[in-house]
Parts: sequence; C-alpha cells; structure tokens
Amino acid sequence: MTTEIHVDDLFSSLGKDFVDETLPVVEQVSSLVLKLEQAWLSGGDSEGSLREVRGGLHFIKGNSAMMGFSAIAEVAHALEDVCAQAAEPGLEEHARQAELLLAGCDVLAALTRSALTGTVDGAQARDFLRRVAQVEPAEAEKLEAPGPTESAGRPASEPTLDGPAGTRIGDRDIDELLDLAGEAIVGQTELVRVQGRFARGHFDPGDVALMDQVLSDVGRTMRQMRHQLLRSRLAPIATLFQRFVRHVRDLAHDRGQPIELVIEGGQTAVDRAIISRLHEPLVHILRNSVAHGIEPSADRAAAGKPAKATLVLSASVREGRVSISVGDDGRGLDLAAIVAKAKAEGIDTDHLSDRDLQRLIFRAGFSTAKAVSNLAGRGVGLDVVASVVQSLGGTVDVRSTPGKGTLFILDLPVTVSLQKALIFGVDSETYAAPAGFVVDTKEGREKDLQQINRVLLLSWRGDFVRAADAGRLLGCQGLAEPWARPYALVLQAGNKSGALLVDWLSGVQEIVVKPLDASLSACTSVAGATVLAQGRVVPILDCVEVVRRVHATLLPERPAEGRAEEDYVF
Amino acid sequence: MSSETRRTEEPPVPASTENASLLAFADHLLAAHKQEETRVSGEVQQHVTFLLHKQEFGIPISHCREILRAGAITRIPEAPAEVRGVVNLRGRIVPVVDVRTCLGLDQAVVTAKTRLVVVEIAGRLFALLVDRVARILKLASSQIDPSPDPARHHAVTGQAKVGEAAIHIVDVERMLLSRPDMRSSADKE
Repeated sequence: MTTEIHVDDLFSSLGKDFVDETLPVVEQVSSLVLKLEQAWLSGGDSEGSLREVRGGLHFIKGNSAMMGFSAIAEVAHALEDVCAQAAEPGLEEHARQAELLLAGCDVLAALTRSALTGTVDGAQARDFLRRVAQVEPAEAEKLEAPGPTESAGRPASEPTLDGPAGTRIGDRDIDELLDLAGEAIVGQTELVRVQGRFARGHFDPGDVALMDQVLSDVGRTMRQMRHQLLRSRLAPIATLFQRFVRHVRDLAHDRGQPIELVIEGGQTAVDRAIISRLHEPLVHILRNSVAHGIEPSADRAAAGKPAKATLVLSASVREGRVSISVGDDGRGLDLAAIVAKAKAEGIDTDHLSDRDLQRLIFRAGFSTAKAVSNLAGRGVGLDVVASVVQSLGGTVDVRSTPGKGTLFILDLPVTVSLQKALIFGVDSETYAAPAGFVVDTKEGREKDLQQINRVLLLSWRGDFVRAADAGRLLGCQGLAEPWARPYALVLQAGNKSGALLVDWLSGVQEIVVKPLDASLSACTSVAGATVLAQGRVVPILDCVEVVRRVHATLLPERPAEGRAEEDYVF
Repeated sequence: MSSETRRTEEPPVPASTENASLLAFADHLLAAHKQEETRVSGEVQQHVTFLLHKQEFGIPISHCREILRAGAITRIPEAPAEVRGVVNLRGRIVPVVDVRTCLGLDQAVVTAKTRLVVVEIAGRLFALLVDRVARILKLASSQIDPSPDPARHHAVTGQAKVGEAAIHIVDVERMLLSRPDMRSSADKE
C-alpha cells in the first residue's frame, strides 16, 4: 500500500518535470516551424530552421519514449518524417508540410500537458498519425488545423503551468535563500541575548548600538530574501507573447491576408501570476485588431498602405510598472459610430473629448449591439479586457488615429503580490490605497472645499477636483458634514482625479496583496486585502472604481435633511 | 467510521476501579448500547452543532477545518448581507459568513461566546459565524429525518432528535453556494 503511494508520488513529480522540460521545447519547435514557413514562402534559406526543428522533435521523441509516453514519441517521430520529406528535393509540398508540422506541434503540446495527469490520450495521437499518413492533400484539407477558437479554448490545463504554483526555483536561488534565512536567525539570536540582559536589568553600554546594528542587518537580510523570492516569480513576457505569433498567423491565414506580428521587449520580466491572466485580454485585443482594425487588402491598397498589415506587441518597464501595448496600422476607431452608439445608450457625448469617446469602447456591452455594425463590432469583449486588467491593479487605454491605426495600452504592476500603499483611516476603519494612484495628500481645510449645486469640490494645485467623504463612499457611519474630515487624499486613475476626505493618514508602506474570496466579487471598490501589524486585515481600494464613484457622488440636497441618506447617490 | 463505532462499543477499562465510577461507567455503557440498538443504523457521521437563536444546528464535521474565537472582523464595503467581513487565518483572507443571515434569521450580535467555524467547500474557506458551538455529536443517517421543513430555509435538509433536543441539519454547500453572489466566478481564483 505505502510503496504504491510512493511510486505514484514519484511518478507525478517525474511527470511534472517531464512537462516542464518538454513543453518549452514543443513551443520552441512551433515557433521554428513558423520561421521555416516564412523561409519557404520567401524562398530564403530554410535549411538551418529545418535542422533545428528536427533537433527539437528528436529531443521530444527521446524524452517521451524514456518516460513511456509512446503516443507522444510516435507523433514526434511522424513529424520527423515530414521534415525528412520536406528536405528531399521532389517531395516538397511546403504549404501542406508546414500545416502538418504546426498541427503536429499542437497535438504534441496537448499530449504533453495531459502527461501531468500521468495518462496520455492515445486517440488524439492516432487521429493525427492517420492524417499524416494521408497522401491526398485534399483529404488533409478536410481535417484542417485547429482554428483559433480551439486554440484559445485550450488553456484549461495551462494555468497550472503558468501560475505561481508552477514557479520553479533554481538550486542556486534556494542556496542563497537558505544563507539569508541563516543570517536572519543569527540576528534574532543576538537580539534574544540582548533582550535577556535587559530583562535581568544588566545593560551593556554598547547594547543600544548593537541592537541598532542587528536590526538593520536583519532588515537588510529580510529585504534581500523578499527580493529573491519575488525574482523567482518573474518570467520574461516572451513566454506569453510567443504564443501569439501562431495565433496571429492562424488569424491571417483565415482571412487570406498577410499580417506580421512584431514583438518588442520580450525580455521584460513580469510576475507569472500576471502573465497567466493576460492571455485572454491580449487575445481579445489582437482579434479585435485583426478583425476590425485591419482593412481588407483592397482598402489598404486604395489607402496606399503596404499589403502586409503590421501588429506590434510590445512590453516595457518604467518605475515599477509594466506597459504592454498592442498597435495595428489599420483604419482606426470610427468615432462617428461610437458617438451614434453612445447617444443611443443615453450618454451625453457633447462634453466628451475624442480621447474620452474612444475610451467608451471599454464600457460593458458597448458595441455588442447590432446597431454598430459599421463600427464592425469593435469593442466586443473589451469590457472584459478592462475588468481583467483592473483586477490585476492596472489600467487600459486606447489611442486611435483615423486611417492610421489603433494602439491599446495596458498599464500593469510588475508584480501583483507586493505594492506600495498609503494607509488611511476613516470612522474607525482602516484602508490601503495603492500608492500608484495617490498623487497628493493635503489637509482638508474648510476653506478649500466648495459646494456647487450638489457637487463637492476641493481646490487643489490651483484647480478643483471632485471630492467625496470616504466614510459615506465606503459605507462607514459617515459624518453629517463632509468637511469635518481633517485630511484629503487626491487619487488619479487614468485621466480622472478625485479626492477622498479621511480622518487620518499614515505613511506609505509596502503591503502584500491578497485576493478576496469570490463571494466578495460584488465589492467593486475593493481590489483585495492586506494584513498589517497584529494580523489586522485591511481592505485595499480599487482606485479606478473609487475615483469613478467620487465623480458620481452628489451631496444631499440641502432642505431635505430627513432624507439625506437616500439622496446620497453613488 | 467503523472504527469510531467500535470505540463506543468496547471502551478501554478505566484505570480507577472505584465502585462508584465503575458503576457509572457500566451505566454509560448500557445506555450507549441501548441507543445504538434502538436508533442507530446506516452511515454514522460526526456533526459539529452550534446554536443560533437558541436552536441547535448541525453540520458534518468533514467540512470543518477549525473553530476560532470571533476576533477582529474587517468589514468589506458593499459585501453581501451575509458576509460580515473577513478575518486573517494564518495569512489567508477568509470571508466571515453570518449563518443567521443565511438562514433567514436576524443578524447575529458578536459576544464572548460567538465562534467562527471554519469550513472548506470546493477548496474555498469560509468562517461561519455562530452564536456558540454546542457539541460534537455522532449521528447515524437513520437518526436524521430528511423531510424538508417548509418553515425553514432550503439549506436545512433534515432534523435529528437526540434526547430532548432537535437538531437542524444544515447542508453547508447548499447554504453557501446556492446564492448567485457567493458562487465562484471565473475571473477570481
């Protein structure tokens, strides 16, 4: 009984190692095949790529045969044969061969992932082998490679590989962490000794200096440890971007139009937890760009644009934030259609700038309606993009120039788990506001507050910002007069600012962000929680939502004192 | 479960051989046997019972992870009425669910006896806020009358009579996950 369990454990850990080792090779082969296909199409030198593809396949075959995954080995073997044919003069049918190789890589990836469970489905492998055996190209057409929808629907097993659970720490990192932990313990022992002397009333003259020294050493050690651990969670974003090369290729193939995906800044390191959540939003954006941004070939020619459309996927890091952008050189957003749709939704568009109009596409359900068919459905799912990005502590923006193209910009933290935040209090409750959104803090003096109609304004930097009482906004008891709060916190999210009136402010500190259970998903003003000293749980504000609400807040109407509460509109 | 039952049938002989305690022990043994014979058949499950509004409710112990004092509960703005807030369970943030509110009773008032029964459902942890924890009780399936009581919440799936006491059996999963706002959504892990 016990031995069996051990064998199972051993196998599952071996299976995981196998997947961790093999899957990157499969992905690499897949992107090499794309390169190979390019070389075939352009008549360039294909030999090098072909050799690399064969090398990768050979590795996969050997590795899976060793683990007893014969189905994977057979598929890899069949693909090697395809490569061999492709290399032989007279047997080249490059379009079909590339198609087969790509489909084969998909099968390999799916089978390899299924190895995590210890069983590999032989039927899928057999289907594919049968397809390779088909000499008739027409027959192969019918079996067509999995379309983009299926490849997008695939990630069921992916999160386990990308998520923090799949984080791998190298032996060297572990050694370093152990050293650091050792140092921390040495420091603690030293402190215990000093504390013992204090408890007995014996003070060494040097003790205070010694304690200062030890505390600063321990502090440094702890920071290093955290830094190390954080680093182990980071991965180059290329691991995610690389998957889109294939995706865009398939989309272009379906449209019968050449589209090039240019990747910039692939080495940018980002938290795996973020990377694993970005797949879906980026797929949405890329599909939108291909389907609705990029014009049909004829239109492009008429506009004097190159026949090959370009998508640029880029990442860069600045001040602890990572910026990911997706740009296309298509027709740009149709502002007239957006205005028409907005009017139909009852949105007052007269006072909105062009930028604000463009941002309307992130509203829920904004362009799902048939009425905007001339907007070409652009915006389907973009509200989903906005909400995923927001839940990661980021923002999404769009910039578009008619006739020139559209650029989507995602602004995200490098890591979700640690953030700098300003701690503040209101009505006996404590909250954290991510520091990235806090632009200023000031005393909430009565003379700085103005009430115009039912809007409360705080004068700030020679201008006015909308202000709201934090207690009311967050549903604490609240005060009758909003200016009874001594401090104001100015938040900025996107291009909107808003001030929260609060009771007290404490400094900026680093907090560990923890997610809330799904039962609290309706609490849109809260992005998570953190634990402060003495184990106290403090909610972290979702500043994008809070600023939105500050703008939606109206003061109670003066005479109706009795009904003040109900009149308070969020 | 079978080993549990055996323990009641063949308890270890107590170390003390004083007459009084031996007699009491024999009485206890007899009573236990009698109860087993008359009532107990079917699968035996341990239940944690707690009081709400002076009535006793029970949930299978298999769901329970631990029982805590109700310390500082942090309110979360706009939480659904039955979620009183969150607590820190060794670094994990766990929602505190007011069982009274869930079952359609009036909201609980936290006292020194208030306890949090931490349950795990589908990998998620919930801290159930109850007036106080009463006892741990073995109940055989035959002891539980599964007929629904129309006067009660649909998560109360049966009643058990133990001596004078009536215990309402709560299906925790149904209570927690039947509400649309409590269900796990795809975009939150």
